[in-house]
Amino acid sequence: MMADRRRINGPPGGTRPAVFASNLQSGTSATDRAQRQRQPSELRKIFLKTGLIPTASGSSYLEFEPSASLAAARANPKSLIPPSSALKLACTVHGPKPLPRSAAFSPNLVLTTHIKYAPFAARQRKGHIRDASERDLGVHLETALRGAIIAERWPKSGLDITITILEAEDDRWWGSAPDSHDASWGMMNVLAGCITAASAAIADAHIDCLDLVAGGVAALVSDDSASTSTVAPKLMLDTDPAEHRSILSACVVAYMPARDEITELWLKGDSSKASLEDGDDRTGHEALIDGAVDAARGAHAVLAEAVRESLLKTVGQA
Amino acid sequence: MATSLPPVAIPGQRLGSIVAYSAGPGTHVQQSNIYASIAGPVVVDPAQSKTQTKATLRVSRILSGTPQISPASSAPIKQKPRYNTLPAVDSIVLARVTRVQKRQATVSILVVLDETSATTSDPSKLASDNDNVASILTTAANPENHSSTDELRFQALIRKEDVRAVEKDRVVMDEMFRVGDIVRGSVLSLGDQSFYYLTTARNDLGVVMARSEAGNMMFPISWKEMRDPVTGAGEQRKVARPY
Repeated sequence: MMADRRRINGPPGGTRPAVFASNLQSGTSATDRAQRQRQPSELRKIFLKTGLIPTASGSSYLEFEPSASLAAARANPKSLIPPSSALKLACTVHGPKPLPRSAAFSPNLVLTTHIKYAPFAARQRKGHIRDASERDLGVHLETALRGAIIAERWPKSGLDITITILEAEDDRWWGSAPDSHDASWGMMNVLAGCITAASAAIADAHIDCLDLVAGGVAALVSDDSASTSTVAPKLMLDTDPAEHRSILSACVVAYMPARDEITELWLKGDSSKASLEDGDDRTGHEALIDGAVDAARGAHAVLAEAVRESLLKTVGQA
Repeated sequence: MATSLPPVAIPGQRLGSIVAYSAGPGTHVQQSNIYASIAGPVVVDPAQSKTQTKATLRVSRILSGTPQISPASSAPIKQKPRYNTLPAVDSIVLARVTRVQKRQATVSILVVLDETSATTSDPSKLASDNDNVASILTTAANPENHSSTDELRFQALIRKEDVRAVEKDRVVMDEMFRVGDIVRGSVLSLGDQSFYYLTTARNDLGVVMARSEAGNMMFPISWKEMRDPVTGAGEQRKVARPY
């Protein structure tokens, strides 16, 4: 137990006034749930810039475009509660640096990844100590990057990758009651963003890698209002969980387009009931993985452009 | 054949076929094609007459404005793959002495000198290639900056028998190095988990900067002695030949 026993502590997660689902259904415009305005295969815009932290050997900052409903709510606020959130994160790379004295000899680069949510990143406040989900994300990120880095070129050295999440994706719309399909869907978008940002920061630090590895998310969602369970779920790319009534399954990949290789794959949920186009005889999870790879290709375009831009800037200065 | 090479490359970008080029630092080979593995300007080193037939393709880590073809013209450079800025076997490093013991001296590596700049005899060239060498040395030679950053640097050992080439058994470590000296050394091996091994057993290797007991910068007067310009007192060191 890490709890402070000497003081009277507040509740760990913070409190909010109770909002009843019945109140929300009546539908004042302030509490409208977010709706996806994009096409199923349309991605959110990504802002990505490298080299913003001068003390690190490599760094990057990534931001997803706010959803249409969030942009509207910001321009014309009707409620204090934002309808959805948009991912914002900063990534730093320190190294290559000597391994600590206690570490054993390693002929390869030793990769360490830390992912930390800022306390204010999600609607539920996060503690200062890394919790299980943050450690889980760190392991996933390490797997994704290990396949891309050429580790044998950096013997006896370590590389620390630290990501701070400033704003996380929601796991579902904040107003909806928890139901059976709930899982931490937002984490998957966060991981995809982490992979893309970390890849940019590693390129900024001039660590040898096989390709720029990009993250992408696809999901099977059923958006039908009110009890039409007969309609099969659809495949959507780059899903914002706040915009969908229920997500049945989702998939994150870390993908290297130049080699057509996947270094990390994370599937969650039930992908057996996908409704694909006629003549498409892929299974649900194949479609899901293909969709995530498509999303990663989109992210890679941004990633390549961001790396090239910072490179041209430094070459121009020298 | 790859008719046009891009001026700059990003990781994963295809540069050319291994039929036309051989892969140099900053690149890797996959399915008979050379791909960039770091972001930087693409440099083609023309083939060295006897040993190679193909030009070497590399991605430069140094972001100079114009990709220089000069390393090929300055004649006898050993064509050794040097992928990174880590100390590798045979690379020349500048290090600061952190501890002197009876059998060995512990140093922490400040800079790994480029092969191109290490072979030129012009110190100004050296400064321009590794543009921060001067600043690193001035901060490292300042006693206030000692000890704080050692954990972040690569540690190395100079064993007693690696100090000089002759009279190895008469070496007294206290008369070779003092704590705070800046030493030019060559990497013998990657060593064990915590230390690299350096040697100074060459005329051009040894102490390059040192302060006297009075705290003044000293100048070398012979291969084993340096002198304080203020007090005039001499101190013993294993001195590197000045260029």
